[in-house]
Amino acid sequence: MDEIRRRDPRREWVARNRLHPEHARALAEQGGGATSEWLGPQGVMRKNPHAIGFMGPNGVKRIDRSGAQQGGRVSGAAHQAALDRRRIVTIEAPAFLVAVVPELSGGRLSSHDKDLLGLARRLADADPDHPGAVLAVVFGEHKEDSFGEAGIDRVLHFGDEAYAGFAPEARLAALMAVERELAPRHWLLPDSPLGGADLGRRLALRLGERPATGVWQVEGDGEAALGWRCTARGAAESLDIQRPLPRVALALSECAEPVDETRHAAEPLSLMAAVPRALSRIEDLGQVAVDPAGVALAEAEFILSGGNGVKDWDAFHHAAKVLGATEGASRVAVDDGFMARDRQVGATGTWVTARVYLAAGISGAIQHLQGIQSCDKVVAINMDPGCDMIKRADLAVIGDAGEILSALVAKVEQQRGGQRDAA
Amino acid sequence: MLETLLPILIFAALGLAVIGAWRRIRLWRQGRPSVVPLFKGLAALPRRYLVDLHHVVGRDKVISNTHVATAGGFVAAAVLMILVHGLDLAQGILGWLLLAASACMFVGSLFVARRRRHPPARLSRGPWMRLPKSLMAFSLGVFLITLPTVGLLPSDAGHWLLALLLAAVVAWGLAEMVVGMTWGGPMKHAFAGALHLAFHRRAERFGEGNRSTGLKALDLENEAAPLGVEKPADFTWNQLLGFDACVQCGRCEAVCPAFAAGQPLNPKKLIQDMVVGLAGGSDAAYAGSPYPGKPVGEHHGSPHGPIVGRGGKALVDADTLWSCTTCRACVEECPMMIEHVDAIVDMRRFLTLERGETPNKAPEVLDNLIATDNPGGFAPGSRMNWAADLNLPLMSDLQQVDVLLWLGDGAFDMRNQRTLRALVKVLRAAEVDFAVLGHEERDSGDVARRLGDEATFQSLAKRNIATLDKYRFQQIVTCDPHSFHVLGNEYGELGGVYDVRHHSTYIAELHDAGRLAFSPWKGGSVTYHDPCYLGRYNGEYEAPRRVLEALGIELNEMQRSGFRSRCCGGGGGAPITDIPGERRIPDMRMDDVKESGAALVAVGCPQCTAMLEGVVDATAEVRDIAELVADALVVRPAAQAASLSRQPQLEEVS
Amino acid sequence: MRPEEQGVEVVVLVSVGRHPITGRARRADQDARGLELALGLEARLPGSRIGLLHAGPHREESESALRGYLGMTAGTGLDSLTLLEQAEGADAIPALAEHLAAAPPQLVITGARAERGEGSGLLPYALAEHLGWPLVNGLAAVEKVENGVATLLQALPRGQRRRLKVRLPAIVSVDAAAPAARQSAFGPARRAELEATPVAAELDLELAEWPMVPARKRPKRLKIVKSASARDRFKAAAAKAEGGSGQVLEGVSSEQAAEAIFKLLREEGVLPR
Repeated sequence: MDEIRRRDPRREWVARNRLHPEHARALAEQGGGATSEWLGPQGVMRKNPHAIGFMGPNGVKRIDRSGAQQGGRVSGAAHQAALDRRRIVTIEAPAFLVAVVPELSGGRLSSHDKDLLGLARRLADADPDHPGAVLAVVFGEHKEDSFGEAGIDRVLHFGDEAYAGFAPEARLAALMAVERELAPRHWLLPDSPLGGADLGRRLALRLGERPATGVWQVEGDGEAALGWRCTARGAAESLDIQRPLPRVALALSECAEPVDETRHAAEPLSLMAAVPRALSRIEDLGQVAVDPAGVALAEAEFILSGGNGVKDWDAFHHAAKVLGATEGASRVAVDDGFMARDRQVGATGTWVTARVYLAAGISGAIQHLQGIQSCDKVVAINMDPGCDMIKRADLAVIGDAGEILSALVAKVEQQRGGQRDAA
Repeated sequence: MLETLLPILIFAALGLAVIGAWRRIRLWRQGRPSVVPLFKGLAALPRRYLVDLHHVVGRDKVISNTHVATAGGFVAAAVLMILVHGLDLAQGILGWLLLAASACMFVGSLFVARRRRHPPARLSRGPWMRLPKSLMAFSLGVFLITLPTVGLLPSDAGHWLLALLLAAVVAWGLAEMVVGMTWGGPMKHAFAGALHLAFHRRAERFGEGNRSTGLKALDLENEAAPLGVEKPADFTWNQLLGFDACVQCGRCEAVCPAFAAGQPLNPKKLIQDMVVGLAGGSDAAYAGSPYPGKPVGEHHGSPHGPIVGRGGKALVDADTLWSCTTCRACVEECPMMIEHVDAIVDMRRFLTLERGETPNKAPEVLDNLIATDNPGGFAPGSRMNWAADLNLPLMSDLQQVDVLLWLGDGAFDMRNQRTLRALVKVLRAAEVDFAVLGHEERDSGDVARRLGDEATFQSLAKRNIATLDKYRFQQIVTCDPHSFHVLGNEYGELGGVYDVRHHSTYIAELHDAGRLAFSPWKGGSVTYHDPCYLGRYNGEYEAPRRVLEALGIELNEMQRSGFRSRCCGGGGGAPITDIPGERRIPDMRMDDVKESGAALVAVGCPQCTAMLEGVVDATAEVRDIAELVADALVVRPAAQAASLSRQPQLEEVS
Repeated sequence: MRPEEQGVEVVVLVSVGRHPITGRARRADQDARGLELALGLEARLPGSRIGLLHAGPHREESESALRGYLGMTAGTGLDSLTLLEQAEGADAIPALAEHLAAAPPQLVITGARAERGEGSGLLPYALAEHLGWPLVNGLAAVEKVENGVATLLQALPRGQRRRLKVRLPAIVSVDAAAPAARQSAFGPARRAELEATPVAAELDLELAEWPMVPARKRPKRLKIVKSASARDRFKAAAAKAEGGSGQVLEGVSSEQAAEAIFKLLREEGVLPR
């Protein structure tokens, strides 16, 4: 924790001098970004009014004094600072190992993985005198570079091509090799359909363990064999089963708080013995392209739904494609023949459970609102500020659905283009 | 020469007719057995024909008089002709009567001919177009051959060639009128129709003010009993007879909401398809309007072949059967008293119970009914959530009340909850001793039954009856005409007999008894939409109008109201099976409302409310009668007195 | 139809389900989807045979639920279900494994998790381990079966699919991504036969020991702001609770509106990356 402030008077002077050719750069360096406030040489707060505010729609600079906008600007720096403040923990000689097999969806630790690692840390750190180490077993290529922040002490990476895709047999063989060589005390996997749910069950049966599945709570219990007791969801989410924590546990997301105060070594590890090649009876032929519009409404997590206010249906379909949303429709749109009947949302159509429901030009008949009851976030675009959909919406925009959708499409495309340039 | 030729012609025709009749009867007897009192039925025939049937026919005076003249003339002429020309009993007045009868028939046939010159679309053509000529041939021929008999003309008048020509005309007439009657000509309707009236499956529907609208229960106890109708021969014999009685007048077609909406249903064609199935063959000979969007001639069937093909085409396509809203407009209009809705539900029963082919959202609804006792799949324990603040008295607490308020599944629907709240307010204002079943109530089973799921219906009904049997009450009041119909007309067969009233009836009674007082109506013009299950199913056209009148509303009746009211499209599970058409039924109904110029349409059914409110850009507001009444409530003088007497206490407290 | 495609022998494992709201016995959703998959296979590959298998106690409630599966078989010629009759609380896995090993089919289809009991989703894995067969989970469709190799589609999140080739015999498990089950008809369900054979029961003593209670609602995770700045912490603590009426943007340009929506979509993480 090296906290000595070092000052460069020349830089500070350049930063104060607006006419200096290097002024902008100096200003940016000084604040680690576009800071508008800094401590001046006399210990007085200095403000740079040019660095605050944002360009308004009419090309006029607006300053939001509520602090919201400013807060957003500094958060990057603050975040960095918070990370820097993490305590670095290194466990040299662990008393035992807690093995975690993260699902790494999209090559990164998912929030489910981070929760699981938080749980692993609880198990590992229960006894401060004899801490265990968290071992992450990682398969295939990954893009993650913050294993340490997530609470991982050791990383065992099986990057071989044989482990990519759906390769449960090869992965199981690797896990069994880990078991033979390192014999972790706990095996933790996320109970997510294509993450650990499959692999974890295979592993447990190979180990002859009866795993706890759907674990969402773990508590210390001196009487249990491993010193822990867990609560697991059973019978299609309708039962809570209390049982001693077995060696293999498959946990749900939010089973524990993710690690956020310490940073761990994430030391690479490798096995002494080679993993025996398993003869695979399952061959992965790769992913098949699927049209998001074809996804069943009831399962979709992001729905773009169109109603009477949508005039240009081609643009609507295009927007759904660009946003990667599943298409839905109000009854009227279906009756008018713009959408197929199986796309109808509402009490008389499909009851949807989307995380985000974007209603374009739907005024919100009662039946429709009933059908979207269990949606998390509803965004409404409508011309009529008094309609029921606006009342229901978490974010409502008054305006023409077609125009706003096309602006949104442009925004998303631009963003995506920008990302590609940056990468 | 005619004297020798005529008896031969007449008795040959009669003989052929008898053979035809025997063959026709054999066709009907392919159907399942059905016990009807044969002689009692035959004895009731004249009354059923002259009163009940003509009550329906008489809605169109011209046609009615035409039919009286033609049919009456024919029956008289035929009988007299057998006597006069067949048995040669030409003495005295008989010949003159025959002349008069045939003349009368001739006049009638002129009107028939006039109608056939520019027939409306609903009428079938084909063989029916030659009927007026045949009628004229018969009546004119009989008239002419009778002239010599009564002595107006010399018996040897004219040439033998003329006599032969006359005989040919009479033979044509006889062939159409007598032989055709049993061999499948247009006159078949007289023969089959008469027997159909005599052996009708719902004898109880005849007679002044009587109606029989409840579906008949399937025997589910007996595992060998068939579940619905798979093939034409699975209908009962008197149902088949009923189909054969159809005159193809197309009145059903003209009132059918599904047909008007361009959905693939035409009740007339459906009945004709059943006749095709009964005799075997293709529907190519059918000469009326087809099912919208389905060309004629592609379907064929046989008495023992399936009606709805599995995968391929058979007699009828499934979407035809699922288009029906069970509004009974066709049955109400049918002059031959054919029961279209029974037939459709019988065929639906097979599709649902045996094939598991209920379309679209219906399987989900049925699964919900099985698992949660309501079609929406809501937790049964949330049935009373809407009334959390109303503190409704529960049957299980009171055990005995005057009125059991049946909520229906509208209790889960946010729109209908407003109606229910209004109704509770009205009942409280009238100080009615009422209670609700609360969580003990289940769906009445209406939707399940109309969708053909008799098993689920009976399961729900039996459990509801068991619940109702636990308590004592005078009557059931409900704001849902579907529940009203099922509880009142269909639970009886399963052992639950109740006095059920629609809320409009009950409110009318309360008002008549002076227990409700209303402030005068200040709104705009109002029209009233008759719900099918209240009107046609239960004959209640008056009470809602009386209530509206009591509110001070002058009704702007729609063109189609009362027994001719057009369905909202919400019955029979039609919104669930959702067969596509060219238009939507509720849109057409709201157009009717618009035409009447009313700014508000009063309804008395949650289904109608939902369907009519679902119309986009409607010109009229949709309100339930209970809501209108609740809004107009004023404190009755008696209640005022009661509250006055309480006032001093209040003052003391304050 | 290609000549090398031949019929397969399929066994569908079915269980007694539980309606999520009322808890009434019903056909389990996933198992019914499994049967639907098998029926679709039978329709495409002539000569296929389907067997239905259930292990558990024979009671009135469970019988009506099992008949729910048989109601799906209208017009398919499948009219019986093999019931391995066991005592309440017995472990179904050994009985099923033994039965399958005695007359091994080519394909075993099962739901991913039971709706009653422990519902751990272990059964397909245990059977695969017992029988030594490959197992594929999350099955969405069977594309073809050729020369003892099945080409399958496995469901990935967001409606995506992965194509797999599996050597038969194999066990596949289905979840909500498989085709929805057809309607169960009353008639065939009533007529069908349950061929019950009593089997030795191994009681699941471990499960019986664990206390089970109706599921508690899981607490929603609070957004804990561990920020360095007191101002941020204060703002987080004083922020209005979520809910109530949402934000309404009126009189803004399309771009600003799009910006606001875009921000929300990105926060929710629903935009494809």
